[in-house]
Amino acid sequence: MRNVVVKGLGFILLLMFTVLMRSPTTQAADIQVSAGQSIQLAIDQATSGDTLIIQPGTYTESLTIEKAITLRGEDGVVLEAEGEGNAITIMGEGVTIEGLTVQNSGLNKTDSGIYVQEGSNHVIKDNVFKDTMNGIYVNKSQDNTISGNQISSVSEHFSNRGSGVFVLGGSGHIIEGNVMMRVQDGVYLESVSNAILRNNQALGSRYGLHLMFAEDVVAEENHMESNITGLMIMDSKRIRVLDNEVINQFHVRGFGLLIYESEDLLLEGNEIRQNSTGLSLEKTVDVEIRRNIISANQVGLEFIGQNKNNIFTKNNFITNIVQSKISNNEMQLDNGEVGNYWDDYSSFDITGDGIGEETYKAGSLYDQLLEKQPYWQFFFESPSIKLWSQAESFFPSISADVYDVRPLVEPVQLADDAAVGETSRDLGVLIVSLAFLWFSILCIWLGRNFA
Amino acid sequence: MKRLLSVLLISVIVAGCSNEQSFEPVEIDPEVDVCEVCNMSVSYHAYATQLYSKDGDVFLFDDVGCMFEYIDKDQQIAREDIEVQYVRDLETEDWIQIENAYFVYNPDFWTPMANGVVSFKSEEQAKEFVQEQGKGEVLNYDQLLEHKWGWEG
Repeated sequence: MRNVVVKGLGFILLLMFTVLMRSPTTQAADIQVSAGQSIQLAIDQATSGDTLIIQPGTYTESLTIEKAITLRGEDGVVLEAEGEGNAITIMGEGVTIEGLTVQNSGLNKTDSGIYVQEGSNHVIKDNVFKDTMNGIYVNKSQDNTISGNQISSVSEHFSNRGSGVFVLGGSGHIIEGNVMMRVQDGVYLESVSNAILRNNQALGSRYGLHLMFAEDVVAEENHMESNITGLMIMDSKRIRVLDNEVINQFHVRGFGLLIYESEDLLLEGNEIRQNSTGLSLEKTVDVEIRRNIISANQVGLEFIGQNKNNIFTKNNFITNIVQSKISNNEMQLDNGEVGNYWDDYSSFDITGDGIGEETYKAGSLYDQLLEKQPYWQFFFESPSIKLWSQAESFFPSISADVYDVRPLVEPVQLADDAAVGETSRDLGVLIVSLAFLWFSILCIWLGRNFA
Repeated sequence: MKRLLSVLLISVIVAGCSNEQSFEPVEIDPEVDVCEVCNMSVSYHAYATQLYSKDGDVFLFDDVGCMFEYIDKDQQIAREDIEVQYVRDLETEDWIQIENAYFVYNPDFWTPMANGVVSFKSEEQAKEFVQEQGKGEVLNYDQLLEHKWGWEG
């Protein structure tokens, strides 16, 4: 009897299972779309979960997607929007778009290659955007992934271009591995929370990454080069800027990093090299800045207005033309234990703990004069200014007091791989010298034998 | 020859002196012009504003909110030292003296510094904009002076 019940139950379960498997709603189909057909027509006929595989060719149309489908372009699929509005508009949940070349959107401010109007969990990856006003515009939606795209805007002055990825509101986005060239801002985040910007490249644009009213954003391992400003953080909170390269922002108004009216930030492991101004902080509170390289900038570090609690530790300030330009209230830069390496610092380390005995003073009276009389830049490094600065250092109370009590006498060894490189070079030297040694012994031995 | 030269020189000097200080709005060059307050390039023409001091110095802003922040919060210039302030008509981008302009405010309107205030030449245009957008509150200059800005927090 019991056996029968068990068998019966098993049969019923099996039946339910097969019925579920057969259910048409769970069966996702692959639909082929080939050149000459309309992608929009295929989208209209598809059901959620379907994948549209687009065959190579140029498709002249604009698309609207409202269901959870995947659009996958084979190599050489071009979507041409003919200068009208958005090429693709996305609504609903879980739309995936990959492998398309999207070109020629309209020229209004919000016109885009892909316009995400609403929804969540959309994936936009490995697409190419050409001559689109904005590449991807994400309006108030959640948890989208934007990765591996190549974006360039229209060939206009940057004030008439759109951004690579423009995100307005919403949260939880991951923006990773995109390359943005000649756009307005590489990635623009406004009123966005919980976003990750990783491994993106922004080149030849206005601002590489631009954060406004953003909260809880991580920007890591991005590469910003030859923009007006590499990374612009404005009115934002809880931002972590880690291991980025910010190079060659040499525009007359150029900055490596410009941080304005923000609070609770961490800047760690960044390389800020060859910019007009490397790092500028204005009206910014509670910033931890550690283990960065700030080198070869025209101005290394700039403070404007009232900053509070900006803690600098183990940074290398090297070969900046002007190390720092300070117009600020009193502030101690080090954390009381360890400070930074400033290559214009000269004092002695008597105690041998790697920390100079004299306090390093950032900025000078000259900086404050420059702010009021910009033309006095003419006297930069002139004997009179040098004499003045020297005299002033004997009466430090005159100038703005921004100082490092624990300056380092040696540069900080930042990258671990640098140390690895050094040991391997040592090994190389050892092998070569051993070879030479053997060779000379051989010569001596041969010489003796033949003599 | 000497007389000719001196006549020329004097005429140049006189011409230089007779040149009155002009308070006409300056052309914006987005390549180099940045907002006096927030450092952003003045890229969006329609939202740009400018202010002349009585001394003839001109200051540029990317958002009308930044101009008010410059005066009221940062106190970089006293109101009695201001000669003239200009804003732009959102549609035609013509410069208008701020006292003659009408404004529309809604926190959802996009402006460069998220202040949500846009400006128009006439009250009718401002009202039209409100109708178009389905939201927004029309303000004249006196009402704008009372407006509570985002940066007042």
